[in-house]
Amino acid sequence: MDLAQLTSDLEALRARATAAAADAPDTAALDALEVAVLGKKGDLTAILRGIGALPPQDRPKVGAIANDVRAAVESALGGARRRLSAAELAARLRAEAVDVTTPGRPIRRGSLHPIMETARQIADVFAQFGFVVYEGPEVEDDLTNFQMLNIPPDHPARDLWDTLYLDLDGRLLRTHTSPGQIRVMHRERPPIRALLPGRCFRYEAVDASHASEFFQVEGLMVDEGTSLADLKGLLDQFAHAMFGADRPTRFRPGYYPFTEPSVAFDILCVICNGEKCPACSRTGWMTILGAGMVHPVVLRYGGIDPERYQGFAFGMGVERIANLRHHVVDLRQYMEDDLRFLGAFR
Amino acid sequence: MRVPLSWLSEFVDVELTPEQLAERLTLLGMEVKSLERWGADWQNVVIGELLTVANHPRADRLHLTTVTVGDGREPLSIVCGANNIAPGQRIPVALPGAVLPGDRRIERTEKMGVVSNGMLCSGDELRLTGDAEGILILPSDAPLGVPMADLYGDVVLDVDVKPNRGDALSILGLAREVAAATRQHARQPVVTVEEGSGPTTGERLAVDVRDPALCPRFVGRYVSGVTVGRSPDWVQMRLLAAGQRPISNVVDASNYVMLELGKPIHTFDAGAVHVGPDGRRQVIVRRAADGERLQTLDHIDRELTGDTLLIADPEGALAVAGVMGGADSEVSDATTDVIVESAIFDPVSIRRTAFRLALRSEASSRFEKGQEPRMARLGADRTAQLLHEWAGGVIAPGVVDTAPDEPGRSRVSFRPARINHLLGTQLTADEQRELLARVEVETEHAQPGDRVNVALEPHLLAVVPDLSAAVTALVPTWRRDIAVEADVAEEIARVRGYELIPSVTPDTLMPEFRASPLEVRQLVRETLAGAGLTEVVTSALVSPRHIDTFVMAREVPSVEGEDQPGGDAIGVTNPLSRDHSLLRRNLLGSLVDVVAVNLRHGTPDVAVFETGKGYARDGNEPREWWRLGLALTGTGEPASWNRPARPYDLDDAKGILELLARRLGLPRPVYEADAGEAVFHPGRTARADAGADLHAIVGELHPDIADRWGLRTSQRVIVAEVALRGLSAGRLSPEKAHAVARFPEVERDLAIIVGEATAAASVEALVRANAGELLRDLSLFDIYRGVPLEPDEKSLAYRLRLGSPERTLTEAEVEAAVAAVVAALPGIGGRLRA
Repeated sequence: MDLAQLTSDLEALRARATAAAADAPDTAALDALEVAVLGKKGDLTAILRGIGALPPQDRPKVGAIANDVRAAVESALGGARRRLSAAELAARLRAEAVDVTTPGRPIRRGSLHPIMETARQIADVFAQFGFVVYEGPEVEDDLTNFQMLNIPPDHPARDLWDTLYLDLDGRLLRTHTSPGQIRVMHRERPPIRALLPGRCFRYEAVDASHASEFFQVEGLMVDEGTSLADLKGLLDQFAHAMFGADRPTRFRPGYYPFTEPSVAFDILCVICNGEKCPACSRTGWMTILGAGMVHPVVLRYGGIDPERYQGFAFGMGVERIANLRHHVVDLRQYMEDDLRFLGAFR
Repeated sequence: MRVPLSWLSEFVDVELTPEQLAERLTLLGMEVKSLERWGADWQNVVIGELLTVANHPRADRLHLTTVTVGDGREPLSIVCGANNIAPGQRIPVALPGAVLPGDRRIERTEKMGVVSNGMLCSGDELRLTGDAEGILILPSDAPLGVPMADLYGDVVLDVDVKPNRGDALSILGLAREVAAATRQHARQPVVTVEEGSGPTTGERLAVDVRDPALCPRFVGRYVSGVTVGRSPDWVQMRLLAAGQRPISNVVDASNYVMLELGKPIHTFDAGAVHVGPDGRRQVIVRRAADGERLQTLDHIDRELTGDTLLIADPEGALAVAGVMGGADSEVSDATTDVIVESAIFDPVSIRRTAFRLALRSEASSRFEKGQEPRMARLGADRTAQLLHEWAGGVIAPGVVDTAPDEPGRSRVSFRPARINHLLGTQLTADEQRELLARVEVETEHAQPGDRVNVALEPHLLAVVPDLSAAVTALVPTWRRDIAVEADVAEEIARVRGYELIPSVTPDTLMPEFRASPLEVRQLVRETLAGAGLTEVVTSALVSPRHIDTFVMAREVPSVEGEDQPGGDAIGVTNPLSRDHSLLRRNLLGSLVDVVAVNLRHGTPDVAVFETGKGYARDGNEPREWWRLGLALTGTGEPASWNRPARPYDLDDAKGILELLARRLGLPRPVYEADAGEAVFHPGRTARADAGADLHAIVGELHPDIADRWGLRTSQRVIVAEVALRGLSAGRLSPEKAHAVARFPEVERDLAIIVGEATAAASVEALVRANAGELLRDLSLFDIYRGVPLEPDEKSLAYRLRLGSPERTLTEAEVEAAVAAVVAALPGIGGRLRA
């Protein structure tokens, strides 16, 4: 064995091993190649066994070449391994692909009732103006539901509220949330900003626009300087919050025995925008609530001095607001609880 | 109140378009509900003149006519069945292609062999008058060929007059409002009475008012020699446009006055009224005797009570005052002499009587709102005059009047500064006075002695004003609604226009903080909706069958401090229907109804909840309590390509309760079997309690109930009723944070074999009681039945999580805890599975 032969064998191994690394079909072949070439019993070791036969001065030269070949083979193996493992990962990912266009696993969806949600949204708007929520009983007495609201027995204004009477002495189902005004005044001193949502009842044949059970939200604000102008400003804000900032409003005289002056509050028809359509009885406007300055007699019944304090009250039908917001035309749907209807709401 | 514009124009000039007028009235508080074009349904109906009238050759009852509708147009031959026609008359002609009210279409037809090119119209066919017999004969100067609608068309405003404005339930009253809106003054009605000669009213009629409190004024007139018949066509046209059916000239006269002046009038056939020894007809105004009877105009025999006010004669009742006349004294074709009653009655008395007899009418609704005393005389005079003009009667001179002194204007003082304070305006006193003048409210400086009425009885508050800063309004007699200072404020605001009230954001003091009582209800709603349930709202009024079916042997108790259920249901004494006649005592039936309705609609999967109240009586006191109700049926996890369907079962409902308890910071609910409720499946129903803050019953609906309620489903229906702290009004307390375990926790699984009858809840209770304070969590993860267990055994597999916040547990500590549990098992007949 001479130096030339050894050198030639090493160069041949370099050429063969790097070519084999480049041609390896997979990482397993590379592993085998590594063992076969660089392992303890591999080709490189086998060639170097012949080094002992060389003259001492040639040995370092062969050692240097051998190290160079080892580095070249390792580099070739490394490069091939990186290339092959990237390809293998790509192959795995390809194999794992699914049809991502199929629908997902269904999750049962619930929803909140539009009347309850509308009442909550109304309360949220007024909460911004400091109104806090109170609730009163649904079984009321004539005194609180009517007389303390300036509606004496046999008053013609009683025609405005067809009443369901109960088989309990003098009790009835509240026809409106207004008796809550009295209850709040009996409990709080001004400044008062109260909001009273709740279920009401009337002796009313049920049709698309009338219900015998329905929900109202009542508001009451009493302080030393609370004026009709404050009421107008607040209702404007409310209308804009619920129906859009550009929705025109109309403030006009109304009538309730428990307010003086009394107000009817309209918004421009949400269907025709004032063009006059059947939905607004061809007036271009839709009434959304009634209001007014609390009648001095009602303040007196509430134990509040009308010479010092004054305030306003308003009341609205939640169904009415919900109808206009959600374009519901038949309010019977709210209590029919057909899930096909309710499913449309959040 | 229906207001024909042509009639309104008699009292005020109307230069606005009907739409403008409607808007102005609405903005003044007289809301115009609708605008009706009277005559809009006459299409192609024109004025014609009869040229010839001949008998039909083949039909005795028919006439052949020729009609011209104007120069240059071919005369038309028209067949007509009426008998009141003659050549030269002007009449309404419906041309071929015409449309009449009721969508009646007129075409060229053949009648008994003769072609008819249209139709001559009766007043009834045009809904212009009440006459269906004859053709409507028009004035001879009616212009030929002109559409009828141009001449007889009108616009009718339907005005919603509020109960406090009885004065505006009349053409005159609304004319005053129009005048105020257009800065005019309404023309006062000029009533001239052309009295005849002969005996005076006082010599013919005696009126004895025995209850002046109920009848403060009675004005009577006597008209003799009337010929009862049809009113003039123009009268009928007006009445019809105003919604009043023409009856006869006498009755029409009283109705006309009621609509024109707002004064209800009654006319009696004088011949039916008793004549006294002095030759006078004797009219008595008195209360009925209890049990006294009267046959009213509608021919119903009515029994009266002692608080009914009557118009009577010495022999008995003639009419129910202000409500309805009697059949015996009704004006008929044979009537020659008429007694006109124009009276003022006590509003409350009239209202009560009208309600009791279920006879509410245009007249009673005006009486019950209060009448201006002045109108008694005016109404009597106006009616007498119309009887003279329309029925040819002779008006007896003078009147019988029980209270001829008419009250003057009332004084209502106010403080202009206070008005501004209330309205948020800055109007000078003079501006306020000028606005009041537009509705004929005169004003003057307040005088010594004038009081500002802030509130009237029963909470009278009258203030002595600073005279230099107070004004006194002199309120016209018809405005009974202006009585206190706030009424004046409204009048000023209304006349000026609410649109001119400034719109400001309140800047007064804010109230103290108050938590919303809806906080817990809101969290419950959101939690359940998030868990896939739909919120429903159902009727609180239910049927007797509901109440009887959904009855609880043991009520779900309310949380402490709230109204407890139990007791009889509260009933409605005047229900709309039997189905809504009682207040529900629980939500179960309502939710079963929701299930039933949706199954009927083909929605098989129903998961719903409601927060609502139960109601019952405690003696004579009502109670109300808040509840949450659930109902589940059908598929809980819907089928999909990647998962089979899973139906709802009891565990879903319990899971919902547990979710709620977790979200509300309550302990996990503990269950106990309840086989004693008829509404529920005896083997699949549990009572649940989470400490003292949640009580519930949850179970499958009893199959009998499902059958009786006609639930069309083979699926189980799970229902629950839940009482929950805070549902009525409550706050969520802030959650307590728990330190996250810094030391590793250890899990141990125990399979515990117990008898089939031993409840999982008691096994769990035993584990909790014995595992010691190291137990962090306990969960049941499997139940096994079968070999090698005995047939009446089950194995419950629990996972215990043990740990300490202070240290890592030693093996010995863990084993000791497990051993303590195992040692206790024999106490419930249990053992560890090997």
